[in-house]
Amino acid sequence: MFTDEALDSVSVQSQWRISQQSAQESRSCQTRAVHRAEAEVQAGSSSTCCTQTETQPQEELHLQDGLELPGLRDFLQRVEDPVVRELVRNARSHAFDEFQVNGEDHRQRVSCLHFLQHSSAQERGLHVTSVSWNCTGSVIACAYGRIDDGDWSTERSCVCTWNLDRRSLNPKQADLVIHVPTAVTALCCHPEQPALIAGGLYSGEVLVWDTSRTQDPVLVQTGMSADSHREPVYTVAWVPLQKKGEFGVLSAGSAGRVLLWTVDLEEARFVLSAAYALVPQQLPHSSGSSSSFKARGSSTVGVTSLALSPWDPDTFLVGSEGGLLLRCSFSSQTPAAVPPEGQSVTLRAPAVFLFKPRSGPVHSIHCSPFHRNLFWSPSRPLVFAAATGQGEVQIFDLGRRSLRPAATIEGGTDQPATCLSFNHRNPHLLAVGRTDGSVGIWQLSHDLTEQGPRESSQLEQIANQVAE
Amino acid sequence: MAGTEHTNVEDTLKRIEAHKGVIGTIVVNTEGIPIRTTLDNSTTVQYAGLLRHLAMMARSTVRDIDPQNDLTFLRIRSKKHEILVAPENDFLLIVIQNPSE
Repeated sequence: MFTDEALDSVSVQSQWRISQQSAQESRSCQTRAVHRAEAEVQAGSSSTCCTQTETQPQEELHLQDGLELPGLRDFLQRVEDPVVRELVRNARSHAFDEFQVNGEDHRQRVSCLHFLQHSSAQERGLHVTSVSWNCTGSVIACAYGRIDDGDWSTERSCVCTWNLDRRSLNPKQADLVIHVPTAVTALCCHPEQPALIAGGLYSGEVLVWDTSRTQDPVLVQTGMSADSHREPVYTVAWVPLQKKGEFGVLSAGSAGRVLLWTVDLEEARFVLSAAYALVPQQLPHSSGSSSSFKARGSSTVGVTSLALSPWDPDTFLVGSEGGLLLRCSFSSQTPAAVPPEGQSVTLRAPAVFLFKPRSGPVHSIHCSPFHRNLFWSPSRPLVFAAATGQGEVQIFDLGRRSLRPAATIEGGTDQPATCLSFNHRNPHLLAVGRTDGSVGIWQLSHDLTEQGPRESSQLEQIANQVAE
Repeated sequence: MAGTEHTNVEDTLKRIEAHKGVIGTIVVNTEGIPIRTTLDNSTTVQYAGLLRHLAMMARSTVRDIDPQNDLTFLRIRSKKHEILVAPENDFLLIVIQNPSE
């Protein structure tokens, strides 16, 4: 009836457990191998390459001491006679004596290139007191003022510059006009910087203008201080100072003072660095002139002109109203016998040597670059130019051995010519300023400007004759 | 023998150089290389190279005009001095003279 039944166990799988088990499938994927390439770029490496022309590589000279080249001796024997004959003939030949060939066209005459005038100065009747070429030779600067005025004048004047190399040169209108409160009596352009001009005024001031500045062109000025001149400044010159490249301004006035100023650009003023006073008692006496010299009793030696010597940086020459020519040195230490007037620098007496006095005032002197003791034109050793009161400029050529001038530049008007300047860069040009306010630029003829072959020796001869 | 030849050459050259106004002498061989000179190195090389070409051109000019003619002497006068060139088949003698002295 009742039997044991054995039943199999029944298992029911847990749904929950299954649901908890996340289906795991593993799959993997992988990209194919990535192609990589490395390349570097860098802009840093550079190679420099310079080229320069070099003098030709010098071939070795076979200067053989013992070994002789075959035939050299025979060659020389054959050749010696004709060569010697030619040499002797050359030395004696007069065939080429006066023969001078030049590739350029001959300019036989002196001709006027430009006639420059400034209208407002001419209306007021101002004279041209000084002309100066700038260092590049293309700009001429002219100063206007009066020469014949004895009184203190408060007339305004100006400094005009013309650039002659520009095509749009207008002779009636200056390229640049700088207005100045009083008459300008001296002008000098800087020898290295083309924009600087130094000027001396009638009131005794010394100014430097910078023409490259469009606003107020006055760069530095001395002003009226105890240091500056009280009398009109007659000459201004740029002087190279000890430091290379620096220039100072040397100004000379009619009170016998010669002052050396250095330009202080930070404070825009002049600093007086040295002062020299010329007093008659301290001038050296040269033989034969001491008696006539003591007869002149003036208390100061009025300086009318100044020149720097290109040979010796320590010397400068001074010409005075009384006709004296003095050679002075910058470094003299003897103090001047003048009552001190509160100057900041003690005055020194610079005169070292006195040349023979002339009878009239010396208006201008220039040192010759060719010889130590004579004063002439920049390109030809035997030519110098003199401006006369009748309005002509006479150019003398000492090679011609005559007292008449080699060339005369007529004025056109009869106005006296007051100042002259040779152009150093272009020695054919000469600028002449006149009292009617006009400046003429003249081109000199060929034979006045080209140096002939024997001129240096002729100059030596003349200099030696004069010295005796 | 070599010694006397040497002195003869030197004597000849000295005689030429002692003339009035002579600034310098150069002897150039067939290849255009200066073998004797009284001037400095660079000037010598310059003169030798340039004058050799000029002498050759002058000779060819003379022979072109007349094939039986030949160049014997070449003189170049410049503003500053005169250059005399004596050409030969194998050597060239250049003398520079300042005639106005």
